[in-house]
Amino acid sequence: MTTHIHIVKVHHLTLSFPTRKDPNPKPILNDVDFGIRDGEILGLIGNSGCGKTMTSLAIAGLLPESASITSGSIKFAGKDLLAMDPKSRRAMLGKDIGMIFQEPSTALDPLMTCGKQLEEVLTAHKDSTKTPEERRKAIIEMLETVGFTNAEEILDRYPHQLSGGQRQRVLIAGAALLKPRLLICDEPTSSLDTVTTVSILALLKDLCHKLHMTILFISHDLSAVRGFCDRVMVMKDGKIIDKDTTSDILSHPKNAYTAELLTNARLDTRLLGLEPATVDYTRSPVLTAKNITAGYGDSLFARGKNRKTDNTILHDVSLEVFPNEILGLIGSSGSGKTTLIRSLLGLLPHSGKVNIRSSSVGAIFQDPVSCLNPAHTIKWHMEEALRASGKTDNSVPRKERKAKSLAKIISVLEECGLGEQHLLRHPKELSGGQRQRVAIAMCLIQEPSLIIADEPFSSLDASSSAELLKLMTDINRERSTAFLLITHNIHIVRQICPRVIVMDSGRICEEGNTTDVLTNPKSECTSSLLDAEREIHGI
Amino acid sequence: MSSQKTQSKRSPEASAFYIAGLILLGIVVVAFVISLFWTPYAPDATDAASKFLPPSLEHPFGTDNFGRDVLSRVMSASKYTIFISAAGVAIALILGTVSGIPAGYYGGFTDRGIMLLGNSIMCFPGILLALVAVAVFGASVTNVIWALGLVFAPTFARVCRLGTMEIKELDYITHARVMGVKPVRIMTFHIFPNLVSQLLPATVIGLANMTLFESGMSYLGLGVQPPDASFGKMLSDAQAYFRVAPWLVIFPAMMLIFYILGLYFISEGMRVSLTKGGK
Repeated sequence: MTTHIHIVKVHHLTLSFPTRKDPNPKPILNDVDFGIRDGEILGLIGNSGCGKTMTSLAIAGLLPESASITSGSIKFAGKDLLAMDPKSRRAMLGKDIGMIFQEPSTALDPLMTCGKQLEEVLTAHKDSTKTPEERRKAIIEMLETVGFTNAEEILDRYPHQLSGGQRQRVLIAGAALLKPRLLICDEPTSSLDTVTTVSILALLKDLCHKLHMTILFISHDLSAVRGFCDRVMVMKDGKIIDKDTTSDILSHPKNAYTAELLTNARLDTRLLGLEPATVDYTRSPVLTAKNITAGYGDSLFARGKNRKTDNTILHDVSLEVFPNEILGLIGSSGSGKTTLIRSLLGLLPHSGKVNIRSSSVGAIFQDPVSCLNPAHTIKWHMEEALRASGKTDNSVPRKERKAKSLAKIISVLEECGLGEQHLLRHPKELSGGQRQRVAIAMCLIQEPSLIIADEPFSSLDASSSAELLKLMTDINRERSTAFLLITHNIHIVRQICPRVIVMDSGRICEEGNTTDVLTNPKSECTSSLLDAEREIHGI
Repeated sequence: MSSQKTQSKRSPEASAFYIAGLILLGIVVVAFVISLFWTPYAPDATDAASKFLPPSLEHPFGTDNFGRDVLSRVMSASKYTIFISAAGVAIALILGTVSGIPAGYYGGFTDRGIMLLGNSIMCFPGILLALVAVAVFGASVTNVIWALGLVFAPTFARVCRLGTMEIKELDYITHARVMGVKPVRIMTFHIFPNLVSQLLPATVIGLANMTLFESGMSYLGLGVQPPDASFGKMLSDAQAYFRVAPWLVIFPAMMLIFYILGLYFISEGMRVSLTKGGK
């Protein structure tokens, strides 16, 4: 085969989703034109909905049925992909083009062992030369390449027995097994914590050199792109508006939009105007938790076998949140952060004492997709929150009460950057950032003194996170609401949290003033988190 | 109806199923609606002079062994078929949701208790159970409806329980719990509306299956009692005269097939549009 300088050449690609009502809609991809050089790592960044994923799906040939390519061509190693028949295109998938997706928890079949799933990659491509033993050997070799020291054991494990990072490694192994020339990574690290992210990125880079692969790396996380990609393209509204080498883009952005993305990603307090309230630590705390121990019960199977396993996840955790405070809670995945807040919210049985000063605690969660009920409108959500808070006055007539609550709903929505026009919308008509705002508005209408936020930023792009962060600090300042912020983004904690708690394997390993903790870490887990962060941000 | 609003999103495959289903079902429903006000002859008026008349202009579907007009009888039979299946499904649906949602929501002993009850109903052949119930309590339309409703309730309970177990883990339910919404309200206003898309196809299939059960019971003489007409009863009466008067079998059977096939097509259309087009 002749070598091409560009392994993939996308030539003036325009793509849209025509419907019967609207045969000529606004294109999702508009005149996209770029090439991926052989052996390079090309980053593709942009906010959600800008067409990054569609670009990658078009290259892989996995576009949804309703998409139609109106003009342009995609060439892979000189062959026109759009002119090929579906069968030979499918044969290319996996063999020439590999793909890794965002969510490692759902990308593996829960009923198949990892070994079986990896073997399927090989058998699907009818490599008749190989016997089962040879296939097994190849899989073990690949698992070792992706950093498993106990490859033989991993083969017989089921996906739920692996951590998120391990699963992502298995997926990478599966994608690399057939040694594809192009590997498309669609947000492979956005659901992983910082420590795992660093190791996965290092692995991908390593594989790229070892197997001579080309990588198209899609991300909304600018910090992941730094130090990993050779070149970066910036996408906005279906157009590529900027492309350059990584260092040029990230240090001297020429395009105004790229600069804005960078500012948002940096989450600079001064530029964004974030002003968290000052905290008075002499006042009595809004939330006191003492000696919380929690875990999951034994399964019926384990109970039947009379085997006592230690399922305790939290060991003797105590913490206090003061009024007006934004308390940061950091720690790697699996350190028990989520179990802790579930215990605090009373959703999990636990031992120990939780004292909350006010009647209501608000909570916002990680996933903007499932945080709102798809069957109801935003207005219903807000009314439900108001009703549940029990703050409606039953003495006034119904009509008056309705008008009053509507006015209150609108004022809270406006405070959260939404408006009256959103009242009758359904959650699916809102973006991820807007849905998180509705979730916050639902908390606010209950007037809680504390809002617990579990990784609210991790599935939002840089601009939406910056806006959400601004909203949170505004609420904190104006309504003097305390926040307990759980995140794996240390950068955010450094910017807005006066105090921070570090958790590791179910225990609080460090606690104190943010600057002190993050500049002079006393425990090992804090320093490992900081190291990972430093590596990823290239500081 | 909301079908107009969603027209643009529907795939052509689903539309074909819907149209075919609605046409077939429409024939039976139109016959039913007209029968409420008017039938060509009284459905149980005998006429000794006109026994076994083949289809003609006066009697489009012919006449039976008592000289009764088959068209009139078919029209009035559709009344019972539609009424029994609708009422039976309504009972099954109410019992199923009321037991299935708490079972899925609370889990543990509530779940085991409710499901034990449901499963013990399900491990008997449904038609046998319904027949026994009707044989014990007496053959009447009300008893048939209650028997069928009870037999079908566990199916709906299972659909509800599974859907609830999935939905209750989602953040918006956790959010509602954190906000302090009471469990009954969570189940009725937060979970139930999200189950509708799963319950709808199950309801349509339930209607079709219940019609089959009802016809089978009437055929065996334990359903609708003479002189009232029902498709199953008409078929069992007609089998003795099948050679001399085939129209006695053909027309009621055709109506029964239209009704059931129509319902199956609609549920198939729902399945296609929910899995593919609906996204």
